[in-house]
Amino acid sequence: MKSGLSNPMVKIVFYAILILWGISVIYPLLWTLLDSLKNNDQFFRKMPWSLPDFPLLWSNFSYVWREFSFGDYFLNSVVVTIGSTLLGLLLSATTAYVLARYPFRGSTALFLLYIASMMIPFSLALIPLFFLMNSMHLTNSSLGLILVYASTLIAFGIFVLVGFFKSLPKELEEAAAMDGASYFGIFFRVMLPLSQPGLITVGIVNVLNIWNEYIIGTILVNDPKHYTLPVGIAMMQAQMQYRTEWGPLFAGLLITIVPVLIMYMFFQRQIASGITAGAIK
Amino acid sequence: MKLGTNAWQRNLFIATFIIPTFLFFCVFTVYPVLQAMYYSLYDWSGSSDNKTFIGLDNFKEMLHDPIIWIGMGNDYFLVAGKIIGIMILATFFAVALTRFKFRLANFFRSIFFIPNVISVVVIGVLWNFIYNPQIGFLNSFLSLFTKDKVDITWLGFTSHTIWMLLPPAIWAGIGFYMILLIAAIQGIPESYYEASSLEGAGQWHQFRHITLPLIWEQMKVSILNIMMTTLNGSFVIVMIMTNGGPDNTTQVMGSYLYQMAFTQYHFGYGAAIGVLILVLSMITTVILQRLMRQETIEIS
Repeated sequence: MKSGLSNPMVKIVFYAILILWGISVIYPLLWTLLDSLKNNDQFFRKMPWSLPDFPLLWSNFSYVWREFSFGDYFLNSVVVTIGSTLLGLLLSATTAYVLARYPFRGSTALFLLYIASMMIPFSLALIPLFFLMNSMHLTNSSLGLILVYASTLIAFGIFVLVGFFKSLPKELEEAAAMDGASYFGIFFRVMLPLSQPGLITVGIVNVLNIWNEYIIGTILVNDPKHYTLPVGIAMMQAQMQYRTEWGPLFAGLLITIVPVLIMYMFFQRQIASGITAGAIK
Repeated sequence: MKLGTNAWQRNLFIATFIIPTFLFFCVFTVYPVLQAMYYSLYDWSGSSDNKTFIGLDNFKEMLHDPIIWIGMGNDYFLVAGKIIGIMILATFFAVALTRFKFRLANFFRSIFFIPNVISVVVIGVLWNFIYNPQIGFLNSFLSLFTKDKVDITWLGFTSHTIWMLLPPAIWAGIGFYMILLIAAIQGIPESYYEASSLEGAGQWHQFRHITLPLIWEQMKVSILNIMMTTLNGSFVIVMIMTNGGPDNTTQVMGSYLYQMAFTQYHFGYGAAIGVLILVLSMITTVILQRLMRQETIEIS
């Protein structure tokens, strides 16, 4: 049996392509770090790839954190991301469980309605969503963002979790029912703990999406106190036309990237399974 | 007590688990979508007294609006460019990292996915810096080979500036589809490859006659997904990198919707652009599915 490539030349070329692409991914992250430690003078005097001068300007980080309110943005992003993911998981897991285990008249149609909604371009809903939230006094508030983001999670969550609940054995529920557990008790004390892998998969994929989301955040929030990180960065970049502070801008980028990179390192496998689960249509 | 003996309890349980989610879904998804179609029939600047019913006039106006046509052209340019670029590279990486038995394959796979966990806003700002005329990477790099300092404004060409948005879009999109195709390839039984190896088939032959036909389903899903996410979401990178400029030449439908609604307060017209995006993405889905169904028959 042949394994791998036989022709060494082809092998070298393929390796080169993989390494080049790897560099194209890693290098921008590296230079984001290096450039976040420079001052403006170094940007204009030297090459973009040159190393930062000593002393390294770690102060750029505390500067954006305080002067550009990235501390607030960071906190807002954390609150909104966690709040909407938990709410969305609760909303989708409950419905998914019933759809998987207690079919009723119209349950298939309901499932299909949720799935079909994933095909609708979200840009269509932006304008009405703005007026809806405005009329409920939920613009410029983290709660408003949490509600809208949670709603974007429902269809995908139901889709993945119905499959997950169906794959769990029925015996445990039956045993719990024998012991006199109520429907609610079975769900919250038996099924939810069992479905942790599915919940984590759905949760992680949505944490990434919501942490990185820009357009809803910019439409529903125009008070800097409630900006999330992507909106804050876009605003900071827009201001750069008037005052250029490249080092702090890169520090802001890094503050946004590092949390998701850490999440990615820990949950790589769950992210991959979330992608494959979501794409089987 | 057995499950289902008490019908009333069971129904109560079903209702508590179904109804809140459904109400939530209706308020934040169904209602806005229907409302958008309703708004698209009005001339409306956002305040309640200035709303006049104009039927399909918004759509008629689009026919004569050059920016709509530019936006559609740019959208489909990005769709085509991303499908070609992403599918070729993602398929290559997926095959290389599974079938070629490279050492470090898992390492490369982890690295290649990184752009997908980063916000499009961050990616846009990073590429803006690459393209920056004074201090950017690209000009500084080119200046190494020329006598005078290169100062091309990469995002300011009077035409074809949209081409500059294709590299970041492809760079950012590959990892997701690579993971999808890797999963598909790993689902192919190893025995297929062993059998064809015994018959002396090389890597290319195996790719052409085993891998490609067996992952074609996932490739179709990927292509449709690229098309839909591009028509629906490419405007974020446009807004961050060029904001539709120079002179509206890089406008896409989504960014024009945003501009019409939220900076020029033509909410009715903006909603109509949203409906156009919906209609186009449905038509394109049907057309692509037709095209790709024929393709499958050819292969098998």
